[in-house]
Amino acid sequence: MARSRKSRRSSDENSDVGFQIAPMIDVVFVVLVFFMSLTSAIKLEHELNTKLPGTAVTADTVEFPDEQVIGVNPDGQLLLNDDPIPVADGADLVQLLNSMTRIKANADAAKTRVLVTIASDPEAPYYRTIDVLNVLAAASIDNVTFTVSDEL
Amino acid sequence: MAGGGGGGDGEPEFQIAPMIDVLLVLLIFFMSITTTQVARVLQDITLPVAPNAAKKGDARDESVLNIQWDPATRVAKFVFDERTGEKPDEFVDTLTRRHRLEPKHRLVIRADRTVPAKHVSAAMAAAAKAGISDVTFAASPR
Repeated sequence: MARSRKSRRSSDENSDVGFQIAPMIDVVFVVLVFFMSLTSAIKLEHELNTKLPGTAVTADTVEFPDEQVIGVNPDGQLLLNDDPIPVADGADLVQLLNSMTRIKANADAAKTRVLVTIASDPEAPYYRTIDVLNVLAAASIDNVTFTVSDEL
Repeated sequence: MAGGGGGGDGEPEFQIAPMIDVLLVLLIFFMSITTTQVARVLQDITLPVAPNAAKKGDARDESVLNIQWDPATRVAKFVFDERTGEKPDEFVDTLTRRHRLEPKHRLVIRADRTVPAKHVSAAMAAAAKAGISDVTFAASPR
């Protein structure tokens, strides 16, 4: 307080503007409130990466990997190599995860790569594809391709 | 915080004018950055849940393609850089340009969880037409 009085006196005498704490706090609070309101609007998002197929080098020997096909029906039903996989609402696709983990372990033991093709019906819900990608991420399988029969 | 100015023999005084200058510049900077970030993602899209998905990395050179789905009318809407289209092919030119500028440019697909797979497939096909092979699906961690 004493410093403030001294500062005011000094500014009166020298026409020099001293430090005003009130406008500074105003600005800082505006910034704070602005970012607080924006933070609530921003949702945390994760990501599942994939690489689209590019041009193959034909001079190299092509090794055919062990391919697994996971089908997604319009009603969300999953098929692993045409065998239905039980899917309950809210379940974590445990059976598919166990199967894919086993396939991955076998492929690693045989020193081959697992290729998973997700064959979705055009009308299949997108979240089921993400469920499958989520399982593949848990099983450490990153060699994934997609097929959808219809085009827009 | 450092005091500014001051005479040779007097106590250095805090200069409020440059302080407010800096604060305002910072405010405008963060406002523009945050607005751009928020505008790129549509908040009304319900993302699918993928607990095993990787955390989103730091800012990379990327484009975000949002796919909205209206279950009542069964119509999908593609939103890209505040432009709305019925097909993702409308954005191929822009994507191609960005890919030419930065070959590691990637496309983030933010699709509603209930959108039919054919629309996501169309978005991936648009990325392929633009020469972008790095495609990422946005998902909610929970």
